[in-house]
Parts: sequence; C-alpha cells; structure tokens
Amino acid sequence: MRRFIPWFLLLAIGSMAANLTGTWSGRFTPEGGEHNIPQILVLKQQGQTLSGSAGPNAGEQYPIENGRVDGNKATFQVTTGEWKLTYNLTGDGESLKGDLKLESPTESRSAKVTLNRTKN
Amino acid sequence: MRRLILNIHLVIGLAAGLFVILLGITGSILAFEPELDRWVHRDISYVKPGGRVLSLVEIGDAISHKYPGESVVAFLPSRAPEFPTQVILSRGIISVNPYSGEVLGLRTRGQSFFGVVRALHVRLAMGSIGRAVMDWSAFVTLVSLITGMYLWWPVKRMRIGGAWWSAKFWYDLHSSSGFFFSLPALFLAGTGVILGFGDQATRLLNRVIASSTAGNNERAPIQKPDMGGAEISPDRAIAIARAQVPGAVPYRVQMPRYGGLYVVALELPRNRVTGERNSIALDPSTGRIVSEHLASALSLRERLMATNSAIHNGNILGMPSRIVAALASIVLPVQAVSGLLIWLRRKGLLRTR
Repeated sequence: MRRFIPWFLLLAIGSMAANLTGTWSGRFTPEGGEHNIPQILVLKQQGQTLSGSAGPNAGEQYPIENGRVDGNKATFQVTTGEWKLTYNLTGDGESLKGDLKLESPTESRSAKVTLNRTKN
Repeated sequence: MRRLILNIHLVIGLAAGLFVILLGITGSILAFEPELDRWVHRDISYVKPGGRVLSLVEIGDAISHKYPGESVVAFLPSRAPEFPTQVILSRGIISVNPYSGEVLGLRTRGQSFFGVVRALHVRLAMGSIGRAVMDWSAFVTLVSLITGMYLWWPVKRMRIGGAWWSAKFWYDLHSSSGFFFSLPALFLAGTGVILGFGDQATRLLNRVIASSTAGNNERAPIQKPDMGGAEISPDRAIAIARAQVPGAVPYRVQMPRYGGLYVVALELPRNRVTGERNSIALDPSTGRIVSEHLASALSLRERLMATNSAIHNGNILGMPSRIVAALASIVLPVQAVSGLLIWLRRKGLLRTR
C-alpha cells in the first residue's frame, strides 16, 4: 500500500495545479427558483490570477473581477447589472463545482453551480 | 352540501392559516415596495428638479471623478423629474443628481428588509420546499375564498355588529371583510397561483394557443459586435433606440463592456402591463441595431402572463389598483385570525362576550 502513496500524492498535486484556462459551461438554479440558468465561462489563469468573462451564452459575456486561484479553489465575481455573482468553486481539472452567491440592491440568494470544461 | 363546504373551508383555513397570514402581510408591503424603498433611502432617492438634465456622458464623468478607474456597468436614467439618475458600478448603485452631477450616495448590494419580505412571500425565505409551500398556500387561499363566498351567500352579512371581542363581532368581521374584499382577493390569489405554477401555466397556454406563440418575438441571438472602431456614446445609443420605439422613455442603458453590446431598455409610460418590455441591443462601434425585443411584438401567451403579473402586483390600473391590492392582501390575515377565533369559540376553547 505504501508504494502507492507517492502516486496518490502526485495525482492530487496534479489535479490541484490544473490550469483553469479554457471554456467552461454548466447551469445553476437559485435556491427556491424554478429555472436552470445556463452559464458559459471563458477563463484565463496566469499564476494565481484568474481573468476572462462569464455570461448566459457565448455572445453575452461579462468581465470577471477579483479572480483568484488557490490550489484547487477558484474565487471570482461577475457584475451583470443590478446583480453581482460571487463564485466559490473547487476544481479537478475537468469540472468546477461549488457555491454561487447572487446579490442585488435588495436581495441575496445562493445557488449550487457545476461547470464542465468544454472540449473545442 | 353546505356542511361539506364548511368543513373544507375550516380544514384548509386551519391547515394553511399561518401561511395565508404571511402571504397577506408580505403582499400588502410589496404592493408599495417602490415608495417604501425610496422612503427608507430618502437621502439618495430624491432631487430638486431644476435646470438642464445632464447627458449620460456628463454623469459618467462625474462618476469617474468620484470613483476613478471604475467602469460603469449601466445607467438607469431618472424616470421622474424628482428622482435621481442611478449608475451601476461593480461596488454598488450610485445615485446622481441629473441636474448638477452631484453624487448623492452609494447603495451596496445585499439582503434588505424588502428582499426578506419578497423571499418570505415567494418561498418562505427557504429553498424549493418553501416555494412549494407558498405556491400551495396561494391555491388554498383561492379555495378558501371560493368556499367562503358560498357560505356567505345565504347570510349576506355586510356590516359589523356586536360588542368588541363578542362572538358576533368576529363572525361579522369575518363575513363582511370577506364580502367587501373577496373579489380583489380572488384576483390576487388566482394570479398568485398562476405565478406560483408558472411553468405549468405556460405549458397549458402553449397548448391552448400554440399557434400564436410560435416565437414571433424571440430575441435574436446576440452577434459579436464589431469592436474595431471607437464606441458611440450612451446618449447616442439612447437616441438610436428611441427612434425605434416612438413615445418610449429610456430607463436602462447597459454598457458594452458588460455584455458586449449597448442594451437600451425603454418604457411606454401608458402601457402598465408590457410597457417596460422594450429593449434594443446595439453594436457599440457602429450603432447598428443587433437585436430588438418590442412589447408590440409579444406573443399572446407573453401578454397573458404579463397581464397576470400586473393584476397580482396591482400595477394594472396604477395607484388605485395597488391600494386595492394592498387592502385585499391585508384582509387575508384578518380573515384567517377571525376565522380561527370563531372556530376556537365554537369548540369552547376561547371565551368571548
């Protein structure tokens, strides 16, 4: 069993260090909401800095703000107008999962979000 | 038959009374949310009209001076002479005096009192279970009102008699308030059920009026704009959009950095149902219209659903219908409490005069 431990460690480090640069797609449903909202993210990772854009489709994209990658965790924000979306995601290289907080001047809601890397 | 109807009225009232009270109280607050919200934030919600209204470029300059380096997400032009223009930034919403360019203040994002009220009204401030509870509570309210009208008919009580806290007082209050507000309350509950079960209502409407909902006004896919040249100004974008919808007033301009295009939303002030549902998307470098979504081209299903919403929130006839909606909402808790007291007295669990 011991001889497998370095391989497990290597695998873990490899997945944590996976670069998030690329196109990601998925959906989210705000708590108590009826509708699944589509998401397309175009991410660019440079070291620990994350930039790019996100939106409901490829044409309607909003710039990513305060993007940061720390190990296998990624955090960033997107302002679409009255609403600000704060993502808190964990990735394994091919998928990103986590929480999304949606805030307007009067409301604060949360959602679970799952995104998968789009193969071009 | 009457006995059966009374039992249905009683059982659903006792089972869902608490949620009906919540629907009524929160609904009456939401009927005046814009006014109450402005009153709560009155220091940044009003300006003294006078002089020339500044262009959005000039207002943008005032914002740049106050918050250097921050991009404008969208402008919300003033909708009345006494209201400020609002500017959306990443950090929050800024109120600006449209006559002087003075920055009145910043409103940050997050849960507010009205957000909590809306969340309680729609989903019990919970997730999908809370939403289902409130959707079914609206349905129960509808059934309760219909059975209550059936029970009221032979009695036809229309005024309150009896001493305070007497059995007659509570019975009369229950019957007469039900009579005077049953019709608007029926509209509120019925439209609330349609809103709560919106997906099912949409599917049903699509089935019934399939021919008229063939996507005649679906927004065209947004094409990538030509970003080669300099951008047109937001004021120019408004001018182009207004030419497409004569008589319309702009109430929102989304900047191209946020979404790739200028998106100008316009309101037709006389149309309280679908008047706000005009938006024109423009290529920021050429001013070319990329897509448009006009109230005049809405499908029959969209109009019906918009009318349903306008009845529910009281906007259908403006302030008079909002007052009626608020009063009818507040009667729901009166009905639930008086009904409970009548039942408790009949069961011998409560002593009245």
